[in-house]
Amino acid sequence: MTNETLERPLENATEAQTESPTLKERLARRNKAIEEKGVYVDDTPLKDADPIKFEVFYTKLSQSVNNARELARQVAASPEMREMGESVLGLYTPEGDAICLSPGLMVHVRTMSRAIKWMIENDYERDVGFNPGDIFFNNDPYIGGGHAPDQLVMIPLFHGDELIGWAGGMSHVSEVGAVEPGGMGISMKTRFHEGLYLPCMKIGSNDEFHRDYEILVDRSVRASVWWLLDTRAKMAGVKLLRDAVGGLIEEYGLDYYRGVSEEYIEDTRRATVEKVRSVLHPGRYRDVGWRGVDEPDLRVLLHGPAEIEIGRDGNIFLNADGVSSAGRHPVQATLPLFEGVLFNSLIQHVFYDTRYNDGTALALDYFVPQGSACNPPDIYHATALWGPAFAGGVAANQSISRAYYANGYLEEVHACNAQVNALIAGGTDLFGRPFAGWNMEMCASGAHATAFMDGNDTALAEFNAEGDCGDAEVWETALPMTYLGRTIRTDGGGFGRHRGGSGLLSIYMTPEVKNLEVGSFGGAPIFTAPGLMGGYPAPLCTVYVVRDTDLKERIDRRDPIPNREGNPETPDWTTLIDGKVEVVKGGNYIARPIKPYCIYTQPGGDGSGYGDVLKRNPELVARDVANGVNSPRTAEQVYGVVLDDSGEVDTPATAERRKELRRQRMERAVPAQEYKKKARQHVIDGTLPQVAKDLYADLLANSGKFRQEFLEFWSLPDEFEIAQE
Amino acid sequence: MAISDAELRDLVAGTLDPERVREVQSEPKDSDRKRRVLEVVQEQVPWDEPVVLCLQENLYVVQGDGQKTVRCGCGHEFGDYRVNWKEGALVYERDPQDGEIYPRPNAPTAEWMVLREFYCPGCGTLLDTEGVPPGYPFIFNFLPYFEDEETPGA
Repeated sequence: MTNETLERPLENATEAQTESPTLKERLARRNKAIEEKGVYVDDTPLKDADPIKFEVFYTKLSQSVNNARELARQVAASPEMREMGESVLGLYTPEGDAICLSPGLMVHVRTMSRAIKWMIENDYERDVGFNPGDIFFNNDPYIGGGHAPDQLVMIPLFHGDELIGWAGGMSHVSEVGAVEPGGMGISMKTRFHEGLYLPCMKIGSNDEFHRDYEILVDRSVRASVWWLLDTRAKMAGVKLLRDAVGGLIEEYGLDYYRGVSEEYIEDTRRATVEKVRSVLHPGRYRDVGWRGVDEPDLRVLLHGPAEIEIGRDGNIFLNADGVSSAGRHPVQATLPLFEGVLFNSLIQHVFYDTRYNDGTALALDYFVPQGSACNPPDIYHATALWGPAFAGGVAANQSISRAYYANGYLEEVHACNAQVNALIAGGTDLFGRPFAGWNMEMCASGAHATAFMDGNDTALAEFNAEGDCGDAEVWETALPMTYLGRTIRTDGGGFGRHRGGSGLLSIYMTPEVKNLEVGSFGGAPIFTAPGLMGGYPAPLCTVYVVRDTDLKERIDRRDPIPNREGNPETPDWTTLIDGKVEVVKGGNYIARPIKPYCIYTQPGGDGSGYGDVLKRNPELVARDVANGVNSPRTAEQVYGVVLDDSGEVDTPATAERRKELRRQRMERAVPAQEYKKKARQHVIDGTLPQVAKDLYADLLANSGKFRQEFLEFWSLPDEFEIAQE
Repeated sequence: MAISDAELRDLVAGTLDPERVREVQSEPKDSDRKRRVLEVVQEQVPWDEPVVLCLQENLYVVQGDGQKTVRCGCGHEFGDYRVNWKEGALVYERDPQDGEIYPRPNAPTAEWMVLREFYCPGCGTLLDTEGVPPGYPFIFNFLPYFEDEETPGA
């Protein structure tokens, strides 16, 4: 059965038969049909006629995109694309809907779709032209992507003269010519601080890159090799994908390819609805994630709420009403990125066994207020650090776990991951070459605790579940900081019956290079990874900078130098050497010059905890203390586990200690209504910290939903406003 | 291989071997899991009224005479499931910098956030934590929809 014989959502069949519609017309009709019917196509006749062939063909497509991604990884220059797998490749319909994507950065399942659609809607077919061999590039996050480092390469696929689809590749490139090296920095207040943007630009023809494009990049960013070579890597991948699709069309026919492409999307939509209906308990779920900016002249707390409604019919509606307003800072996201983060959460935790394509998006509905930090009012707002979009993703994860729990699927229940944090650096390396970028070893953050085990240490980052920390030697080549140590952070994972995983902690010494500047994008000193069902949130990603040290002298004398954390209250680098110590709680640290022989420490992020700490198996606590993952202080004070001199659990003393901690809880806690009475007075009097007052003033003014709930909770009059000094 | 009753007990207790959990994760979901887990829970709780939902660790929705209520595993009654159970909990607002839980350098400061701990008044179990700015309303995490109840707010 051919595509033409199927019932297609064409509103005017006569017109379709007499003249080939433009892509823009086809896209408009497709959108209208989806809006009216809620489905991608009405039927799946090719699947119905031969489901085995249908699955075999998809497997071939899937293998093709995986092969293409692996090839791209081999060609890439940057450690993040080559070692961390910071990429995703995919196939798209002519109108830009994703048919089949590789594993990788699931945040970008939808972003390339949006970029292709944007070109179509903005008359590129007529004004710029879509021709065989064309290469298009985008890193404008308001079109598609997350921020300037998210770079998309898209090529049209032709069969004869007919455009039959698109192949796309995306990767994160960590130097884009921004005000700070690395493309992600806390000082980026507007789009104009964020570096070089190429909004859906044709950068090549006849499979060759335009020379002027390469010159533009080379002269606009600090170290152009990553951008230029990683773009070639993606091009290698999409060319391989183009060849593979050509081979499949030769084998199966064009009509079959076109028909199944659409059916795969509809099939995914149906599978998504069915999965929700069968595994997630209907209900209304609410959780909140947080992000923030902590600079001397700008302190902002950002609210990332997620209310998820799971209907009995399997539909999901995510309401982000109450997200903080957009502002002059980089901790915010475009709508495509918000969408991507939501899909990232859901694909990893619910739809991991469906196809990765736009069918998932069709099954989900969401609301993100215009003007918010997840849907800024114009394209000039900075988006480098995503902010409450990821906080909302965290909240969505928590809610999904509750929905699994209620249906008894405890094997799927987990807490969440912390905000990640990473070193950014730039300068001139030992060989006189410019370098700039950020170290993505935070892909080895601590994993979330689950309902059945501790989170794995140094395991993953939520946005890149298959990444790892990469080789220290490779990073030393790329960003020539000298590793003094790489370790699992002590007391990193959030505490709980099952603890969160502890993340990687790196201790760097600044090398003898010129023009060195270092920083970290980090966050404000806030909880970013809430605990689940009694577990504790993960701690801060605190950064230490130690300047004016005696490291060189110590090395010359062969005296000990810090290469591990030691006691997290007083880490070794604050006690073992002389120097001026700066503690950056949360890690917002704008890149700035630094001399050789200083210390810079960087935690990547940790998972949060699950369940009551006093129900944790004492033997696991003893194990963690022996391994240095938890401190002896934590064993006794948090877990109530008393260890003897040999590190074994003292069972009677532990029982007594836990009894004492429970008694302490009951003594100092107060009934909720009493607590509320006292807290309400602070709300009325305005005796709240300034960041809280600013937060509530914004939300009360801009979110009717938040306002209503806030006033109801605190029993306040309709006209209530937060008192400001 | 479908999860056995004995394994399900271990899963509910949080002690099932993670390798076995991984196998369970890879299998198709058993459609009667909710019923089976409720049977396990019913064996363990110190009351006879039917548990109709596991709301979260240690908290259950129990069917009483014409009313569904939230109850702790110890038997403490929190009230109607449509009302946030936190309204009936004991609350301790912790300064994250108190040095009891977090190493101080890695703890938020109270000018940004406090840490609320919600305990069961019956047994002192820590049921939830909230890292929030002062003045933030309690988060009502989960309002379940039941087949035999009208959808709240609908």
